Amino acid sequence: MSESAEQNRDNTEELETTREHDSQDGGQGADAGAQSEADRKSKVRGPDADQDAVEFIDVKKTFGSNAVLNGLNLGLPDGQISMILGPSGTGKSVCINHMVGLLYPDEGDVLVHGESVPNMPDDDLFEMRKKFGVLFQDGALFGSMNLFDNVAFPLRQHTDKSEEEIGEITHDKLKDVGLTAFGSSMPNELSGGMRKRAGFARALCLDPQIVLFDEPDSGLDPVRTALLCELIQELHEEMGGAYIVITHDILSARRVAEHIAILWKGKIVESGPAKELFDSDNQFVRQFLAGEAQGPLGME
Amino acid sequence: MSSILDPIKNAISVTGDIVKFCGTVLGQVFGGRVFQFFGEALRQSGVLILGSALVIWSLAFILGLTCGIEGAYFNRSTGAPAFSGVFAAWCDLREIIPYSFGYMLSAKVGTGLVAEIGAMRITDEVDALEVMGISSMTFLCGTRMLAALLVFPFVYLGSIGAGYYASYLAVVQQIGEVSSGGYFLIFWMFQNPTDLLFSVIKALSMAFVIVLVGLYYGYTAGGGPVGVGTATAKSMVLNLVLVHVIGMLGTQLFWGANPRAPIGG
Repeated sequence: MSESAEQNRDNTEELETTREHDSQDGGQGADAGAQSEADRKSKVRGPDADQDAVEFIDVKKTFGSNAVLNGLNLGLPDGQISMILGPSGTGKSVCINHMVGLLYPDEGDVLVHGESVPNMPDDDLFEMRKKFGVLFQDGALFGSMNLFDNVAFPLRQHTDKSEEEIGEITHDKLKDVGLTAFGSSMPNELSGGMRKRAGFARALCLDPQIVLFDEPDSGLDPVRTALLCELIQELHEEMGGAYIVITHDILSARRVAEHIAILWKGKIVESGPAKELFDSDNQFVRQFLAGEAQGPLGME
Repeated sequence: MSSILDPIKNAISVTGDIVKFCGTVLGQVFGGRVFQFFGEALRQSGVLILGSALVIWSLAFILGLTCGIEGAYFNRSTGAPAFSGVFAAWCDLREIIPYSFGYMLSAKVGTGLVAEIGAMRITDEVDALEVMGISSMTFLCGTRMLAALLVFPFVYLGSIGAGYYASYLAVVQQIGEVSSGGYFLIFWMFQNPTDLLFSVIKALSMAFVIVLVGLYYGYTAGGGPVGVGTATAKSMVLNLVLVHVIGMLGTQLFWGANPRAPIGG
């Protein structure tokens, strides 16, 4: 790890509490003002290389004049299903793009299993990405291939397996997501939910150590969202690794999250074990997790 | 003042981006990196052959026919119908076939690349490739450039054949004022293998520029479906301009100072 990253890490605790409440509350939360620094520190989980699959260290990212990540400090534990929750437009998908090196921070560092993503040469970056499986919002299936070929694609590109072995693995993955009968269908012949499940199968076919889900519940009805959450849980129990889910659906968070981080205005408001977050006394967290109109979060 | 200079600055900036992009793509091809996806390059070659060859040859045939008819009637009016083969030799090989090749590639291949890769970009398919640990630049752009290098020389030679055959049909079979032997005597007298080489260089320069422009606008497309549409239109405009610039430079360079013709002893 680079020296600057080390220094960043040393400052993490302090930076993590870079007083989101100052910006969040904006004078609205008197309780938050009274909350002690120590209390807040204990409720924000900072990066920890021993346990974390992914760490953000004081990450800042600006698009034009819009500061999306504003000193983000976050650690996402290995072996658990983590959820990054937050209102729309608060930088959740930008976080995913940073994890896999599709975007680089303007300042700060992003570590995957302790390795700095922005400092990786291209070849190492492509190698590192093989650790990841990513489920994009709409599945991002290749429109020119049928479902079977889509799921088999990473195996064909990254392994020396025979076509027979690839066929078996692909069939198993399609079976896991309940799409065995649709192997020869083209992506445009499938519903949104089926495309997501197919994307999930493709994300899993190399047995990744980290699986990222970018709003897996968007555009799905409540029943299919519940089924997808169940599927995520089942496969995580079976395969392990770090599953990181980006969403703003609280019901999904209650169903599957073991660890939750709440993002707002480019910073973590609070993060930790899901149970603790749902019992939080932070005004913003309580409002968001309860889905209430009254509280620090408005329409702005 | 700044508003007057903005379009110029923008044009220079885009030109710089395109040159940088082209350098990267050509580096992927000639550096050998693209060969890790040789199967995909062969698949793209198949797509080019099946999707574009016939339509290019058809256009070349139609224009060869036109060139033959016009040449035959012009030579009849000047009292030298036996020299109809000159038109076929020059018009086909030096201008009409390279331009028809450029036009059809711009319309079919160039815009197709922008639409295909641009659509992949806005539906996250390019990002999906990247996060699978596959270089999208190599997989999408390098393979298509390699396919173009493999396929277009043969497609172009086929176009010349189609144009020549059409001109022969028009002059000898349709109008019929010159015998087959007389036609070919003049036809071959007014061209040689060097002319063929120059013609191939001219047409393939157009082809590779068209592919690179298509790849650039597709790969950098953004702004949703409207953005892809805009990028497609921009690529078509730029390709048409570049086809004519390359055509003019080719003619000037290869035949501008020396007509390479058995005229005047």
